[in-house]
Amino acid sequence: MERLERLVNLVVALLDTRRPLTREELRERVGGYSSDDDNFRRNFERDKELLREIGIPVVTEPVDPRAPESTTGYRVPRDLYELPDPGLDEEELRALGAAASTVAVAGAGAGTATSALWKVAAASVGGDGPGLAPPGPAPGPGGAHPGPVVDVAAGPAAIALFSAVSERRVARFTYNGVARRVDPYRLSYRQGRWYLSGFDHGRGGERLFRVDRVTGPVEVEGPPGAFERPLGGLVGPPPPWRLGEDEEVVVDLRVDASQAEWVSSVLGEEAVAERAADGSVRLKLAVTNRAALRTFVLGLLDHAEVLGPPEVRDELVEWLGMLAGAPQ
Amino acid sequence: MVPWIVARDGPTLSEVCRRFEVSESELMADLNLLFMCGVYPYTPDALIDVDVDGGRVWVRFADWFRRPLRLTAAEGLALVAAARASLAVPANGGEALARAASKLETALGGGGGEALDIELGEASQEVLRTLQTAVQRRRKVLVDYYSFGRDESGERALQPWRVFSSEGHWYVLAWCERVSGKRLFRVDRARSATALDEAFDPPPEAAGQGPVPTFESRPEDPLVVLDLSPAARWVAAQYPNEGTRDLPDGHLEVTLRVGSAGWLQRVLLIAGPDARVVAGAEGVLQEAARRVLAVYEAKDRAPAS
Repeated sequence: MERLERLVNLVVALLDTRRPLTREELRERVGGYSSDDDNFRRNFERDKELLREIGIPVVTEPVDPRAPESTTGYRVPRDLYELPDPGLDEEELRALGAAASTVAVAGAGAGTATSALWKVAAASVGGDGPGLAPPGPAPGPGGAHPGPVVDVAAGPAAIALFSAVSERRVARFTYNGVARRVDPYRLSYRQGRWYLSGFDHGRGGERLFRVDRVTGPVEVEGPPGAFERPLGGLVGPPPPWRLGEDEEVVVDLRVDASQAEWVSSVLGEEAVAERAADGSVRLKLAVTNRAALRTFVLGLLDHAEVLGPPEVRDELVEWLGMLAGAPQ
Repeated sequence: MVPWIVARDGPTLSEVCRRFEVSESELMADLNLLFMCGVYPYTPDALIDVDVDGGRVWVRFADWFRRPLRLTAAEGLALVAAARASLAVPANGGEALARAASKLETALGGGGGEALDIELGEASQEVLRTLQTAVQRRRKVLVDYYSFGRDESGERALQPWRVFSSEGHWYVLAWCERVSGKRLFRVDRARSATALDEAFDPPPEAAGQGPVPTFESRPEDPLVVLDLSPAARWVAAQYPNEGTRDLPDGHLEVTLRVGSAGWLQRVLLIAGPDARVVAGAEGVLQEAARRVLAVYEAKDRAPAS
């Protein structure tokens, strides 16, 4: 018996039972396993892992629910196995197909969005009976496929956190060297990076995590729907001059006409205090990290001037004076 | 594939092959396998019934496979991210896509609110649309562009090849008529874009895919050697360079190709005493510092109130 055949039989056996089946029961029902016990065990473990990898939820439970120490059994709960009907109509499905062809999610694996699209199409009970046809990519001008115009890279941590976020299950991971237990609320993508917002149980508050700084594996635990996802909340990182322990000061910054528009679009209208007739703009920035503010201001070269408070202005003038007089 | 066949009354083999992009022999092999499978004790009623007759195929009793398998974590992320990212592209928006994204998120676990929130970078929607349209119609555009590297603004006529978002910024890859060369422009640095009524023929490389390096040095750019203290090592880590050398005092020597003076001035002003020019850019820092300082020393402007 080929392995694929054995695997299909294994899935069917795991789906076709209401109670967990022991390894030996599965050996008998599925067929095709080695008569050698060690070989059987090894192959069974491999099959189980493969099924989990392709997304089949093989759950492990005690055979006797009243006796947690009893033999381990396996089954695939049908409600976890099946994709619920997302209720998409053909127009929505076409829009999704077009989206999948313009956005490349590097790291998720080649063809991942396509296989997802097929499943979603088949699960959608549309106008022409169950299972809509998956849409093809939209042709570009001249019939050529335009290719993705957006790339959004997602590593293994982002992928694992996404399932925790969407199923609303508690996630465990290490961040800044500290083990965290987090109710993951939302993943946000800002300036080319993924951020996770969520309730950090250890710190007792909502926190923002940079996903590329999560170390070690992300473990997902507990039942789905463990918490409510709040609307709003943290989505992206604050500007660097907010990330520090310096005493908070409100800096008055003038940016000349050549950079005024760009700076106000990056910082947001709420930072704009005044627009002058010459096209320049005055901004008010709350600062708790003065070194980061200096970096931002110097990046604007002679297009920006710190007007106040005096101590911040003096610090910058002193820095510039030191560099202007530095030995060559 | 199975749910799709089960749901239909005998689709033709060629229809199935076309839909799932498999050859007929691959399809027959898969169907044969399915026929062999079933549930213990393999009595006929527990088997999956595959019937191929007159070029059509029926699958019955495949109750276990009637509904598609739930999405893997990677599939879920790929599809929802595609939808949410696409909604952040001005020309792509659309109510159908917004509905699809929120229905998908609900099917994957629900919970209200968006599970993913994607922003692709600052850019004027108007400039972005003008550029996208110009790419499609193969029309030249006139942009008022601020070159961050050179710290200068000016109008440029571009032949736009491709507009894309990468690592949180929007870019347009274009042939720049002012410098007669291929250049990458940040869309958020274009103050305006005006479509011209002049057509151009994009070369084959214009339609290329995959990422375009966003920081490219040219071999004709001059070499600059810097001595970095540990606090300024970020300079070597952040920018492509021609090589580094550890110095005995814990410092790092880095050799960079510098195509634009403004870029080097910023790096030196920000790093301050932690970076020292060894060769190739004598006096650049001092000159830049004096220029910025002049803004503060201007007598005609009132200080902060």
